[in-house]
Amino acid sequence: MTEQNVRELVYRSCLALDREDFDGFLALCDPALHYVVTAYSPEIRKEMTWMEQDLAGMKALLAMVPQHLRRTGSLHRHVSVYQVEAPASDGTIGALSSFLVTHTALDGGSRLFAVGHYHDRIAATGGRHLLKTRRAHLETRDLGIGLHIPI
Amino acid sequence: MTARNAQAWANPPRVPPSHFVSGWVYRDPAIYDAEQAKIFRRVWRFAAHESEMPEAGAYRTFVHACEPMMVVRETGDRFAGFIDRAGPAGARLLPGPAGQCRSTRGLRPCRTAAKWGFVFVTLDPEAPDLDSYLGDALDIFRDVFEGREFSYEVFHFHQAIVEANWKAWQETILDLYHEFMHVVLRRTQMPATAMTARSLRQHRNGHVSIGGLRALYGNYQAYRVRSEGEALPGLTPDDARFTPLFPDTTIIARGTVLRVDTVTPLGPHRTLVESRGLGIKGESPADRRMRIRHHNDYWGPLGRNVPEDAYAAEACERAFGRGAALFQTIARDEDGRGQDDCGLRAFYAEWSRRLGRPACAPTNADAISRGEQEGKP
Ligand SMILES: [Fe+2]
Repeated sequence: MTEQNVRELVYRSCLALDREDFDGFLALCDPALHYVVTAYSPEIRKEMTWMEQDLAGMKALLAMVPQHLRRTGSLHRHVSVYQVEAPASDGTIGALSSFLVTHTALDGGSRLFAVGHYHDRIAATGGRHLLKTRRAHLETRDLGIGLHIPI
Repeated sequence: MTARNAQAWANPPRVPPSHFVSGWVYRDPAIYDAEQAKIFRRVWRFAAHESEMPEAGAYRTFVHACEPMMVVRETGDRFAGFIDRAGPAGARLLPGPAGQCRSTRGLRPCRTAAKWGFVFVTLDPEAPDLDSYLGDALDIFRDVFEGREFSYEVFHFHQAIVEANWKAWQETILDLYHEFMHVVLRRTQMPATAMTARSLRQHRNGHVSIGGLRALYGNYQAYRVRSEGEALPGLTPDDARFTPLFPDTTIIARGTVLRVDTVTPLGPHRTLVESRGLGIKGESPADRRMRIRHHNDYWGPLGRNVPEDAYAAEACERAFGRGAALFQTIARDEDGRGQDDCGLRAFYAEWSRRLGRPACAPTNADAISRGEQEGKP
């Protein structure tokens, strides 16, 4: 059942972010959360980090979201879990997923917003599965006006 | 307050001509073409930072004045810019944004010069040299760049298409009053110093420099306080200063990290914004990580501030792009301090001088009523 649990966790984390249910999302995160968003720039020929947060940082950031002037409409993360690894010696399980994020504007038009991969490590302790590390690696580097919530 | 009739809404604001801008500047295709010919083909434009071309033969491409351009490190500190099209069909030669360039034979060169590692080009053979063009506009960065034993390095690059006129983006930088729009600045910047501690200076050629800003980073709960040891040389950790160079480039410092922005008009209603983050070349991984974090907090695509600026630029486009808004008022006079609009006025004074028409009335249509403005100027 572990593989099924891992898939469910990845999907639930995305559904929570889609709904902007930030408490629900944080409840799926391990206390040792490390969340990074990365991209490779062919312009400067470097790997880049666009966001790096631990659990406290993510909590603080998400708590402030309603006070920002930000992109209207909604995001929809379409995720496919491609690989679930066997548990490592520390009990964590690696998962590789692909994501496509669409943006639906308030007038109802949808368009592709971003594509990339999630490289996740999931802690399976005490019968619960929690997101411990996530590297959301973006293929898309033009995010238009940008984004106040994690990919 | 008296009620306004339709005519009153269409009248220009009752301020001096230097203190407002006609909405036509954001949407008239003829003005867009004139800007390309009379501004962009004449100015010096920041092309790339030296660290993006680390070895001889390394190149970076960019678009400038509708031309596909490239700049290449020839040898040592010598850089050369070219228009990247060759042959009878005028095809672009270089396949990607960066790499090694085997030959520049057949490419049309353009004047190229560097200051403090920032490489600039101009398409105008008659333009003054780069130092004269910049004048003293970058003086507020002298301590950051001059006499240093290290060099700077670009660690971040992203670009985005913003659905707005290019000047709407520059205005988000030049307009200090807009800090009310950013919750981060309301908490960190506005309480940090008196408005009178700020200084906005107008320089020759339309450049503006803004200094005397500070930030209390701990006031925004998702930020960390920046410590003395993290500051870049010549800056304190809470320091903020920036220089919008006319027309399209801005150098910005926030204590521990630098950003350089360029805007490239792609049409009257479409703008390419390119953004770079810079740190110290060869710094420790921990210092680099700190600088990346501080950069991203404000300026990354997932940062707290820049997405709000882009949102604002697009919101202005929706009002000005099709003529719903007729005038932009830039009338805040605060003696070069606080949230003075003098930077915006300097920008539009230079714009007017170069285009040979005032930004407050750039078309014949400005003199007549709104009903008649629906036609072509
Ligand atoms: Fe801003």
